Amino acid sequence: MNSGEFSIPIIHNTVSIMTPFLLAGIGGLMTELAGMLNIALEGLILIGAFFSVVFAAYTGSLMLGILLGILTTMLFAYIFGAVTLYLKANVFITGLAANLLAGGLTTVLSFYLFGTKGVLRFEGLPSLPVLRIPALHGIPVIGDLLFGHNILVYFGWASVLLAWILIYKTPFGFRLRGTGSNPEAIEAAGLKPGNYQMAGILISGLTCGLAGAILTLNLGAYVPNISSGRGWIALVVIYLGGRTPFGILGASFVFGLAESLSNYAQGYLDIPADFILAFPYIITVTAMVIVSIIKYKTQGDSK
Amino acid sequence: MTPYLKMQNITKVYPANNLKANDTVNLEVFKGEIHALVGENGAGKTTLMNILYGLEQPDSGAIYLNGTEVRIGSPMVAHQHGIGMVHQHFKLIQEFTVAENVVLGMEPLRGKLFFDRRQAEQTVAEVIEENNFHLSPAARISELSVGQMQQVEIVKMLYRRADLLILDEPTSVLTEQEIQRLFKTLRYLAGQGKTIILITHKLGEVKSISDRITVMRKGEVAAVRETAEVDEYELSRLMVGKRIMLDFDKEVGFCSEPILSLQQVTAARKHQDRPLLDNISFSASTCEIVGITGVAGNGLSELEDVISGLMPVSSGTILYNDIDVTHMSAMELRKTGFSYVPTDRLKRGSSLASSIRENMIITNHHDYLTRGGLLDGKRIESHVEELIAGYQIDGRAGMPIGTLSGGNIQKVILARELEKVRDLVLFAEPTWGLDVAGSEFIYQKILDVRKRGAAVILISSNLDEILAIADTVIVLYRGRIVMKRPVRDDAVLSRERIGEYMLGLKDDFSAAIPAGAGGFLERAAEEGGEGYSR
Repeated sequence: MNSGEFSIPIIHNTVSIMTPFLLAGIGGLMTELAGMLNIALEGLILIGAFFSVVFAAYTGSLMLGILLGILTTMLFAYIFGAVTLYLKANVFITGLAANLLAGGLTTVLSFYLFGTKGVLRFEGLPSLPVLRIPALHGIPVIGDLLFGHNILVYFGWASVLLAWILIYKTPFGFRLRGTGSNPEAIEAAGLKPGNYQMAGILISGLTCGLAGAILTLNLGAYVPNISSGRGWIALVVIYLGGRTPFGILGASFVFGLAESLSNYAQGYLDIPADFILAFPYIITVTAMVIVSIIKYKTQGDSK
Repeated sequence: MTPYLKMQNITKVYPANNLKANDTVNLEVFKGEIHALVGENGAGKTTLMNILYGLEQPDSGAIYLNGTEVRIGSPMVAHQHGIGMVHQHFKLIQEFTVAENVVLGMEPLRGKLFFDRRQAEQTVAEVIEENNFHLSPAARISELSVGQMQQVEIVKMLYRRADLLILDEPTSVLTEQEIQRLFKTLRYLAGQGKTIILITHKLGEVKSISDRITVMRKGEVAAVRETAEVDEYELSRLMVGKRIMLDFDKEVGFCSEPILSLQQVTAARKHQDRPLLDNISFSASTCEIVGITGVAGNGLSELEDVISGLMPVSSGTILYNDIDVTHMSAMELRKTGFSYVPTDRLKRGSSLASSIRENMIITNHHDYLTRGGLLDGKRIESHVEELIAGYQIDGRAGMPIGTLSGGNIQKVILARELEKVRDLVLFAEPTWGLDVAGSEFIYQKILDVRKRGAAVILISSNLDEILAIADTVIVLYRGRIVMKRPVRDDAVLSRERIGEYMLGLKDDFSAAIPAGAGGFLERAAEEGGEGYSR
């Protein structure tokens, strides 16, 4: 097997596979920093995936589809946030409810609108525009890494930089981190911690909406439960990335690579398919163990 | 002269328990004055100040600032009116720097969008300089001492241009020296035209710092006095309604068998140069109260954990009645007869969601089993009822302990721990946050336990408490014992003197005396030759 041939599609695929992890991770980071573990990411991605492709099909416009898909996801996130923050429900219960509701809602709507609970195909849906700069495309590895992806991938990268600026360079991010650290200090400063948590949840809605849109618009179809655990892995990505935007970029690359490898290996390697499919999850478990070991080891210093 | 602040006929009722926290309360404070608001816990001081600071809304009444009526709907509005509050529990973000904490919520901007850190540090440095604080704007809160954290809280208010500062129990966590520094700061600020309201129940401080005093009792104003015109005894009578006992009768019995002794106990954590506890040796004997004090962060809580069996020691031995208990778990220690009233009464001392009944038998429910191995409801019930009556606990057996006041929660814990005392009790910060009457109840119980012949270890950062009831005082500084003296040695043991040890200015046991061993002995002799125990 020629290693050059091997690496090119893998890196290219890695970049598109990692983007949903990246976007959901960045969104989840915002609530995480505000002191809330957002376990609703999975449901938010699913809502984004379903509505963006459905709206795109109805309006015939990708742009409108993505936009309305994001808005719907943010609305869903708002309801989750309102129940949690204003009605003071337990965030784990509401997060689980949001995930279950997302699964149920998409199935019901799918059946009600299209008469099937199965795969929805949308023929004639334009595919996502791809950034091509042929002159630069030829550069080995870097060409694959940087070019020839659909525009949502670049949104993902932009989100890292934007999140970094937002978190570390603006008063908003400063207060958001303060909220997670000690909400009473925020309150004493005359601010409302709930506002910053809600903002974090809405940003999760935005980024998860985009993450979902990538999944369906790439395919031109909606597959039931298409999020398939990405929201959960995104939670791991947040911790593995040390709760920083660039860390999350690195961590999602690791997971993208794992999934991309397992896709590739299915065709080439003589390993049981079940094991290969489990590969991303094995990585997840391994990563969690490593992270907690590192945390345990460094605990003596941090206190 | 119109008062700078006038609160008129403020009434606040909490509907949940129909408690009149404030009943037509009037408060007048003049510009540039340090006004003490005194009263027991539950007298309504904090409610009144929360109303002034916009945290709560009054049911009726009005607030005037400079003669104009103001409505204070939130702390934000209070800030706009120049009212700032320093809470008893600091509201700081540990990971942020001093400057970041100060500007939080009012950040200077660069280009209208970005947080200007440099500007923040510069402005905060100016405020610090103007008011003679000793703080570095770039230091993280987690690196500061408690006294410095309080300074940050005050700087926060000054940065917001507050003219009226409310300080809620500001001295409760400070050492004597830090208190003196705080008072100096407050006098300076008052001299600059700031108006200061001090909530407190420490009468000595009220006398030394305030200009005027408003005394509250049971939601009402009991008296308003010029400070110069009252003494501490009259104040305490006004506060409590009866004359309280400030001196305890400390008769010493004739028994002194060592019960618990620590021998060169050291506790260290990995990756840390300085051990948390460094070569600690002392013993507690029957009929003795050993008071251990120090500034937070110098080993008090670690010592509590080590003695109670919750933290492993790196070296050294702990003997309890000549049995080696160094490596015993908390449960094994309990079985040997050890009683323990922990600092954190809400997390370690009780289970908030469980009832008073359950909390009272949580450590010894094994003694209340039927022959079939089930909990014996009847016996538990009569035991619990007895304790509730005996300790004057304001609550019924089935009530979750979390619904009680701090003082009553502590009584439940005391009832549980003291009923089965054999010969040793560890009290850690037993009166923290309690009012005069509540504290007194606890002191009485501690003295009772000693009278019954038990050894008592009292870990407390409250010097008054240590001086009032302890027989021996030990001061910890940076994990080491720097002083050990009997309290009866009154001439030497003033608050100020102990404060010097707490801050590390003095050390009876320093091995690193430049003059060598001769100097050490000389010094030990000079200091009374006391406690050369190692």
